[in-house]
Amino acid sequence: MQEKVEAQNILSMNSVEVLYDNVILAIKGVSVQVPKGEMIALLGSNGAGKSTTLKAISGLLKAERGRISRGEITFQGVDITEALAQERVEMGICHVIEGRRVFEHLTPDENLTAAAPRGMSRSTLNAEKDKIYGYFPRLAERKSSQAGYLSGGEQQMLAIGRALVTQPKLLMLDEPSLGLAPFLVEEIFGILQKINKDEGLSVLLVEQNALAALEIVSQGYLIENGRVVMHGTAEALKSNSDIQEFYLGGGETDFHNVKHYSRRKRWLS
Amino acid sequence: MDWVFLSELAINGALTGLLYSLFAIGLVLIYKASSVPNLAQGGLTMVGAYVVLALARDVGLPLWLAIPLAAVVMFGLGFGIERVALRRLAGRPVVMILMLTLGLDIFLRGTTLAIWGGTSRSMELGVSYDPLFFDDIFISRIHLVGAGVALALFVAFMLFFRTRTGIKLRAIADDYMASWSVGISVERGVGLSWALASVVAVAAGVIWGEIQGVDQALSLLLLKGLTVAVLGGLDSILGAVIAGIILGVVENVVSDFLDPLVGGGSRELIVAAVLILTVMIRPHGLFGRHDIERV
Repeated sequence: MQEKVEAQNILSMNSVEVLYDNVILAIKGVSVQVPKGEMIALLGSNGAGKSTTLKAISGLLKAERGRISRGEITFQGVDITEALAQERVEMGICHVIEGRRVFEHLTPDENLTAAAPRGMSRSTLNAEKDKIYGYFPRLAERKSSQAGYLSGGEQQMLAIGRALVTQPKLLMLDEPSLGLAPFLVEEIFGILQKINKDEGLSVLLVEQNALAALEIVSQGYLIENGRVVMHGTAEALKSNSDIQEFYLGGGETDFHNVKHYSRRKRWLS
Repeated sequence: MDWVFLSELAINGALTGLLYSLFAIGLVLIYKASSVPNLAQGGLTMVGAYVVLALARDVGLPLWLAIPLAAVVMFGLGFGIERVALRRLAGRPVVMILMLTLGLDIFLRGTTLAIWGGTSRSMELGVSYDPLFFDDIFISRIHLVGAGVALALFVAFMLFFRTRTGIKLRAIADDYMASWSVGISVERGVGLSWALASVVAVAAGVIWGEIQGVDQALSLLLLKGLTVAVLGGLDSILGAVIAGIILGVVENVVSDFLDPLVGGGSRELIVAAVLILTVMIRPHGLFGRHDIERV
């Protein structure tokens, strides 16, 4: 039974601890499972450890002088805890980092070219680009302008498109909705859902916008203070009163009576 | 006003300027791929010239073989510098890397002094010293050859930066983190840019070595090369070529007017003025990329 569950998970992260500069413990034993072909959300407030979790998976921790000090990460059954970021991309993990970070002085088309894996033929690359322009027609319209001058939504689309060129099996997105108008968030999330359905791409989504995220994912993890404090299906999380109160903006409306302290303490113990 | 003399000054200035460009292209290559101004480019140029001489004089190879072989050696040295020194500094503040390149320049100068001594050696390319005549205008042959090499490298690198590898290098210069996130090997890209800049250094070292002799003074080309690169915009190869021509012409023509007034030595002042004014008035140079600020 256990083995069967393992086989269904494309990514499995077990009790991972991350240290920055050998001192700061950023996440304290996080376990996250991404079943193959599903969309999973990591929710939580600022500084909870969501981005660090993604960086631990993509291997980008090293660039920020962080390291995994305990636990292990397996991708498709292979231990990748010590693998280089580049190797993980080649295996099929691609991380759309926070803040879009397109190559500003390159055109959108060159942005896509830059992400082409080594040895990808010109015809495959062009086919990938056509597919991406099909998902994001706005990018096709502006493919020869300078990427730095695209709108925020277009840059986010480009960042996702750029990641797709690497032909990932697991796509991780860090706050794709940040600073975007609600209709754009809806458009981008809709496209993600379409890609997930069409290609069976597994998605791990980090969001503060829990309301939007829970609409498209099947399961969610709630992270606070570097720990997973809640895990469940999207429906279960949506109906949870704590989640409603803190992350969905519902529940108690009288702010004087909100019991932040006692509730958080209950999760953490 | 003697127009023949003035155009001779301008044409020779432009040719000399293209030789500055030849040097500056190396600086631009590294800046374009890693956003670091390489203060060791003068040292690399000097080493390039010494390696050619070592292969030609000490080993006894013919020059046509010694120069490409030196280019291969320097290509390896460029990669080696990234592997040994720069890799540890990836992601650190640019000023640290800048200091490292300065240290490297001093190191290279000291090494050549220890191995080959400080006496100037001649390159002896076999290019005739007799000037060419166009009507009444004198033109130096070696300057013409060097200008041709500079233009050839310019075209080659313009094409290179449109290839997939070239685009990846430009991506690295834009954003290390984003490059890592899509699997670009930043380390290899930076190494490649140093390797290419080291090959350019061989070309510049050979031409300049022929003109002024091979000794540690070759590394001082950095001052003029940096001025040209900054005026051109640091990350623009086209900028390096045009800025080189501008600096060469201005330096030659203006110093001809100023020298009699101040008793000589105005060339350096003109170069300094161009550098300082560029940084003050147009920090991103003639063709440099702007930092994009969206509001």
